[in-house]
Amino acid sequence: MTTTASDPSTVPTAEPIIEAQGLVKRYGGHVAVNGLDLTVYTGEIFGILGPNGAGKTTTLEMIEGLRAPDAGTIRVAGLDPATQGDAVRRLIGVQLQSTSLFDLLTIAELVELFAGLYGADDSPERVAALIAMVGLTEKRRARVDQLSGGQRQRVAIALALVNQPRIVFLDEPTTGLDPVARRALWATVHSIRDEGATVVLTTHYMEEADVLCDRVAVMDHGQIVACDTPAALVRSLRADATIRARLSGPLPMAELAALPSAIALDCGGDERCADLRLQTTDAQTTLIGLLALATRESVALAGLTTAQATLEDVFLHYTGRAYEVGEPAAERNERRGRRRRGIN
Amino acid sequence: MRSFWAMVRANVKMSSRNRGALFWNLAFPALFIVVFGAIFGRGAITTFHVGIAEPASEFGEAAAREMEANPAFMVSRGPAEEELARLRGGERDIVLTFPVAEADGRPAATLYYDMARGPSEAMAVGVVRQTLNELAGGEPAAAIEEEPVDAQDITFMDAFLPGIVAMNLMNAGIIGLSTAFVNYREKGILRRIRVTPFPLTSFIFAQALSQLLVVAAQSIILVALAKLLFGFHLRGDPLAIALTVAVGGLTFLAIGFAISGVARNAEAAASYANLIAFPMLFLSGIFFSMDAAPGWLQPITRALPLPYLVDALRDLMTRGAGLTAVWTDLLVLLVVFAVAMTIAIRFFRWDASGAD
Ligand SMILES: Nc1ncnc2c1ncn2[C@@H]1O[C@H](COP(=O)(O)OP(=O)(O)O)[C@@H](O)[C@H]1O
Ligand SMILES: [Mg+2]
Repeated sequence: MTTTASDPSTVPTAEPIIEAQGLVKRYGGHVAVNGLDLTVYTGEIFGILGPNGAGKTTTLEMIEGLRAPDAGTIRVAGLDPATQGDAVRRLIGVQLQSTSLFDLLTIAELVELFAGLYGADDSPERVAALIAMVGLTEKRRARVDQLSGGQRQRVAIALALVNQPRIVFLDEPTTGLDPVARRALWATVHSIRDEGATVVLTTHYMEEADVLCDRVAVMDHGQIVACDTPAALVRSLRADATIRARLSGPLPMAELAALPSAIALDCGGDERCADLRLQTTDAQTTLIGLLALATRESVALAGLTTAQATLEDVFLHYTGRAYEVGEPAAERNERRGRRRRGIN
Repeated sequence: MRSFWAMVRANVKMSSRNRGALFWNLAFPALFIVVFGAIFGRGAITTFHVGIAEPASEFGEAAAREMEANPAFMVSRGPAEEELARLRGGERDIVLTFPVAEADGRPAATLYYDMARGPSEAMAVGVVRQTLNELAGGEPAAAIEEEPVDAQDITFMDAFLPGIVAMNLMNAGIIGLSTAFVNYREKGILRRIRVTPFPLTSFIFAQALSQLLVVAAQSIILVALAKLLFGFHLRGDPLAIALTVAVGGLTFLAIGFAISGVARNAEAAASYANLIAFPMLFLSGIFFSMDAAPGWLQPITRALPLPYLVDALRDLMTRGAGLTAVWTDLLVLLVVFAVAMTIAIRFFRWDASGAD
């Protein structure tokens, strides 16, 4: 199932900077990462795409040296994070998923502090430049506890850049941001890469992976199910398009699946298949067959569309189910915590 | 080293902006000083009302004459039962009985006092005991190496303030540090620090040093307040006092650090901290002497670190003693520091969920 297919010609250089093999991480009996292989090349924006709970954060934090893998090997710029952690930490910049900072400091003070912790340049000019890079110049004297979620996220990204890292890890940098802020952040990520860093980020937004990333690893249940450029991933489906329609009544599943040129059928777990999604290698022949079948069964098709295949179809193709973001881990943990404390 | 000071600077900045903690750490002890100072007066002389039971031994008569000549004492005489009744009624601070028959030739005395009389009672007991010991030519004096100041100079505040400084050190460590640390862990700040090259030990020492700086500054403010309002006299070697404050501060910071490791979450840390700090506060002799506490309480008192810090600070600040008088107290505190640090390191966790 694990695929590390990649096409080095599509990345700026073909020199690997991160290599992970056979990574496994268990929490109690639960396997969060299950035999994962991964290669990131120097200078690319590499995205890990997957629903909540797929194991993205766990994977990232094992590479960063924050969590110890139960099995497997990791090399970051040739170094092992488990035994050469200090050297690795000097090379990388990290924005953790649960971003929390010293609330009582201002943005400028916080950036200065972290630059100090790395022994990096903490001059006022450098601090100002970092803050400008994430677009918070007019807020630099505001205390962290007065910032919005999106602004904090940007501060966290500025902190990930204080040591001029060779690799920048961003864990769901745009989750919870409005579309405008998200686009601004994409621009920031591009400028980080343009300054020479390799960027590894996670997201559960298909569109983000598609637009922002040079290569995308699609992750599900602790494994990478596909990994390539977004365009190559879509091409690999051999799917021309996806046909969607809402059905007024039931159609025989077997006949739907057997329609000419159809390669994958998704009814969202609904027996009646009221919300139909059909992948096809040839939209025209499949559509003719579908219309004939619907006519025969006297079923009306509402909202009939055909769309170019996307990463969602890639996910459907490799996992056998439609892409759903799922419940964010933070809320799940929150609930678990409440249960532990006996509140509900 | 530069990174260490960057962290210390940031910590001190944050402490100074943490209004809630500032209030508790400064206003609370200041309130104690003002309230107790107002009740027990800025009086330059505290007069101890001593009852001497009749008949008294030869030693007793000598003691009575000595105390009658000293303006710090107001001496009354009467039958033992009457004097003891007056002690219970609050008219006497101390009642002394002197058995006529002196056992194995040593001067004997029994000292009665009443805990309910509040903080000044500890001083009364101390001063009377000192007077008796001197009179007995060092017998049955315990070998206390102190330089007794003239009892007339000791004001209530002189004896009270060292306890308040000790209380402040304890609160900063046990309550302040444990809540700060658990908070950092729960918010993921510790994990964020962990992905920088800044070492954990530096982070912890920066935390400890900044807390120590803040609490030292608070202590100076409290001393100044007591001096201004109640004519507190600071005796003793400032270096010895600073050293004792540092040792005591580190001990309680280590305890706070241990609590933050053992506690699963912020609520648990707060309850452990209070569970440890509050009994210690009242068993430490800050507000009333533990000399008359029931026997079963004595070993508990001796097992707690705070009384040692209170005693050491009183010896230095109130009695003007030197380091030689307090080195055993400091030793006890250092042992507690080592034990707490061991627990803290053993239970340290980066991550609130415990997974790494
Ligand atoms: N500290 C932890 N303790 C126990 N289970 C965890 C912990 N962190 C993550 N998990 C579980 O491991 C799985 C993968 O989580 P995570 O790596 O956070 O996924 P993602 O980042 O893709 O949402 C989830 O099922 C999650 O509940
Ligand atoms: Mg995650």
